[in-house]
Amino acid sequence: MKYFTVLITLLRDRTLFLEEIRQGIKIESKIISLLISSSIFFAIYGAIIGANSSLPQVISSAVKLPALYLITLIICLPTLFFFDILFGSTLAFNQYAALILTTVSIISVLLFSFAPVTLFFLVSIRDYEFFLLLNIAIFALTGLIGVKLFYQGMQFVTEANYRTFKSREPLVKLDQVEDTPDDFVKVQDAIPVEDKSQRMRTKLLQFWLFLYALVGSQLGWTLRPFFGAPGEPFQLFRSEIESNFYQQVIRIIFTVLGFQ
Amino acid sequence: MQADLEELRITQKELENLSGLDVNEVFIGIAWRPSIIRYPKRLLSFLMTEVFTFGLILIFCLPIGLIVARSFGGLTGDASSTTQFLQVSLGVSVAIALLWNLYIWQKGKSLKMLTHLLDEVDKHNEIIAAVDVIDELGSVKNSTISLIDRGEVLAALTATRESLVCALMTEKILRKHKRFIARRHELFTNIETNLATLQHLQVTNQADEYGQLLNEALQIGMSVHQELRKFER
Repeated sequence: MKYFTVLITLLRDRTLFLEEIRQGIKIESKIISLLISSSIFFAIYGAIIGANSSLPQVISSAVKLPALYLITLIICLPTLFFFDILFGSTLAFNQYAALILTTVSIISVLLFSFAPVTLFFLVSIRDYEFFLLLNIAIFALTGLIGVKLFYQGMQFVTEANYRTFKSREPLVKLDQVEDTPDDFVKVQDAIPVEDKSQRMRTKLLQFWLFLYALVGSQLGWTLRPFFGAPGEPFQLFRSEIESNFYQQVIRIIFTVLGFQ
Repeated sequence: MQADLEELRITQKELENLSGLDVNEVFIGIAWRPSIIRYPKRLLSFLMTEVFTFGLILIFCLPIGLIVARSFGGLTGDASSTTQFLQVSLGVSVAIALLWNLYIWQKGKSLKMLTHLLDEVDKHNEIIAAVDVIDELGSVKNSTISLIDRGEVLAALTATRESLVCALMTEKILRKHKRFIARRHELFTNIETNLATLQHLQVTNQADEYGQLLNEALQIGMSVHQELRKFER
């Protein structure tokens, strides 16, 4: 079971893990391991939130929750990759995939760590609205931590790459060459102003994170129910497609606070 | 383990460097090793991976299928359409899993030589482990167990190690230049023609500096020719 070893390595020494991704070391095995381990953790948490309703809901949520995170990743990954390479990134597609998967895996581990808490509230308080809100808070918290770490990770990898690029010595030291031909371009001078691209990529990353959240929440809304409404029979999907995720969150907050 | 024995072991990291692939007990890259059948633990690990892979395929297929089926009105919410949807999604998942395994099997076929070499490496490491056990037993007071010709055994293991390392390196080169090797007959003919040309030029320009350069070129040509001759056999 090497998959969890890879995940533990990521959790223990994230810097080393990111450095390996930057250098392209064992990327495929990292991707497979993170895919499998994060899916298992998401499936476990999904099963717990589905346990609020019925057994079919447990199975359905165990499939839907990992799908929510992983399909969002697949949808948004090409945007990040192509925009980033357009602004000078030298990373490969699989390196981007591994980078985003580290985030998804961290979120899955964090969710898994909340599992006993969720389970405790599931057993002790039979209040659907509260359970829903508690989980939204957990998802938001884990998501924010994950996104923050991803942001740091991307900065680390792209800046480290940039530093490597900038520190490259010219192949020929010009002061040692007596007759420099006119068309000989000084290599250091030929390096474009990379800082500008770096700043652009940071902005792009912020935009992408917003896009990721948008796609994720909409996909979550499309794939619902994850919890299963109390007293209602099991539904694989909700037939109505009205309203959206944000409207629903505000409605739940109002209900819990007693305004509705 | 004693230092001399430790040095003789071919570690996983070394194997990865030599083969250029991610190698472990069950997999070479993404392809599986045929030897897993002989070891129950490895077989279990392989089966678990298969289950996880199928689970992962399901995780992608079911929700995407759900969204597509809903969009095209194929899923109305009643029991029969839901059952039909699940059947189709499961069928697609199984088909994808089979195709994936077929792809891996094809990939594994091109690594046949490497899998044999890795099995030999396993045997080599097992012998080292056995020598280590004998060493440990021998270190117990009043023990009569000891390896009589330890030096000779170590010399033999050193030779085996060197051969294995050489073989792994050669395999890597051959694998990397597969297309080059596939064209080897054509190349061989070309090289022979070039060699004949070089020999002809050498005869006519033996006296000057140019002739010396040609001689060197001829030497290179001869070496390449010899190497390829060896390879032809």
